[in-house]
Amino acid sequence: MASPGEECSPDTFAFMELAIQQAKLALDSLEVPVGCVIVEDGKVIASGRNQTTETRNATRHAEMEAIDVLLEGWQRNGLSKLEVAKKISKCYLYVTCEPCIMCAAALSILGIKEVFYGCANDKFGGCGSILSLNLGRSEPCESGAVPQGKGFKCNGGIMASEAVSLLRTFYEQGNPNAPKPHRPLAHQATR
Amino acid sequence: MNKTTDSWEILHIPDKPPTPPDQQPTVNVFASVIEPKLTNTLVRRLNQIAPLEALRHVKRVQKKYLEGGKTQLSVILCLACENDNQLDSMPHGVQELVNFYQLSPFITKVCKFDALSKEEWEEQCKLWPTSYHPPTYNIDGITGFGQEDSQSVFSFMKFAVELAKSDHGLVVNAAVIVDPSVKQVIASACDESCCWNTPTNKTSIRPCSLKQPEACISHPDSNIVVTHDSLLPNGSTTKLEQLCTGVSCLYPWQWSEKQPHTPNSCYWHPLRHAALVAIESSAARDRQLFSGLGDFEDKSSELDHMQSSFTSSPAKRQKINLNNVEDDEKLDTLTEGHHCISARPYLCTGYDIYLVWEPCTMCAMALVHQRIRRIFYAFPNLNAGALGSVYRLQGEKSLNHRFAVFRVLLPEEVLDVKL
Repeated sequence: MASPGEECSPDTFAFMELAIQQAKLALDSLEVPVGCVIVEDGKVIASGRNQTTETRNATRHAEMEAIDVLLEGWQRNGLSKLEVAKKISKCYLYVTCEPCIMCAAALSILGIKEVFYGCANDKFGGCGSILSLNLGRSEPCESGAVPQGKGFKCNGGIMASEAVSLLRTFYEQGNPNAPKPHRPLAHQATR
Repeated sequence: MNKTTDSWEILHIPDKPPTPPDQQPTVNVFASVIEPKLTNTLVRRLNQIAPLEALRHVKRVQKKYLEGGKTQLSVILCLACENDNQLDSMPHGVQELVNFYQLSPFITKVCKFDALSKEEWEEQCKLWPTSYHPPTYNIDGITGFGQEDSQSVFSFMKFAVELAKSDHGLVVNAAVIVDPSVKQVIASACDESCCWNTPTNKTSIRPCSLKQPEACISHPDSNIVVTHDSLLPNGSTTKLEQLCTGVSCLYPWQWSEKQPHTPNSCYWHPLRHAALVAIESSAARDRQLFSGLGDFEDKSSELDHMQSSFTSSPAKRQKINLNNVEDDEKLDTLTEGHHCISARPYLCTGYDIYLVWEPCTMCAMALVHQRIRRIFYAFPNLNAGALGSVYRLQGEKSLNHRFAVFRVLLPEEVLDVKL
């Protein structure tokens, strides 16, 4: 679960800073500013940023982008499934916003070791806000079925204010991709 | 043909687990009997200081008929703790009202959720009156499918099942995204978590993507399949499940244990579940149909652009086969008719998806993100299903998109799987 501000090493902030850089790249491209980096042995091995608007694919979250970069690279280098699974289980994800239910489920499927995130995601967070997929196996559900899957350690609230201020900037300038503008666009396209 | 195993059926999977009408979840509230003449004043004041946001279906005031023709009014003051019977846990403002009007608060139970049926509502009112709004959303077939809609649903589900069967003779999950307004397949895909043949060209539409189940659409009665020698003696779901270790959504965490059937010749990706691949494919279609254009462009220029992009860069589009071209011509015709594609849909708004297996949490949430309107699946996924089995995302009120979920029961013949 989220445990804000708990014994964060300078490295944690440095990696989150890189994730924020990714989020800024998203903002520059008029995308919802969320970014992430994946770290193995103290080195950034993949990064990603939200790309839902450009791709017209609302599943292209920062985490999914970074995961694709990783998996493609590792396979190009000839790694087997078991080798890939072993490597992922040693990886850390730094992401500016709590992974959504989809991304949290994906991270559980892959078996990531640990996640550090910035701000919480009250609408569809999958690491404690709405569901707690990071807990892995837990209480039986309504149907009596026991949720399976690997859990991962989760640390929230790291540089959350920076993450939030990027999101605020984005929504203040208006989300051009929203179905009908909830807020007027700051720079209305000329027609 | 045996009629009993031959029936199709559409079952709504509601937002909350089914409970007997007399066992609905309740919450505790503080209430008090009041003087009728104080009703307006108190209700207005209470709505300000203690609004019942989560209990909009619950009426604030209860009217009881006593012996001798008298009536008695009670009002809900505020929510009460579930375990705590202490009256001093009331908010300050409410406590002030209680003191001022000399009310006698007591704790009582009201139903937590709004009633979904008349039977539920009648039970609810035995505790405390609630309001009941019978479902009015059956116009577009959210519930109460008409004959034509049902046939269409069955046809597309059959199409999905056929797709799942054909892939290397293995049973995988299949997903078909459909625009129900024109009964057209927007995209379709099978699981690609074990074998993914096009790793470098993410944007390509797979050859089958825009294929229409022509026979199904034009002949609604054709959903009765001629059976061959079935390898599933009972056609039971459990049996099928045992044979379906290749279904990504059923065993999402077991990807590293599965060996690709053709090692080294193809890429694999543990997250390329059918639903995600279909979403990717529909997004690619969207980009192609509306490439480089805003939402409000003139439709003729749009089509020009579409045509020119077909001829000018053939290399980029080697994945497009005749089917797609035909399909685009169909679109073209449609455009010239009453239906125009110039109104670019927002993601998959208004579209339905057909899945052979109930999607896992990742896929179900992906469908929320992509704004799918209705989800139809044939088999529940007790391992990892997120639309009723393990989780029930359609009941998560915080999500910014609402969607309806249905299970489609298939006649046994349709399941005739060759393994």
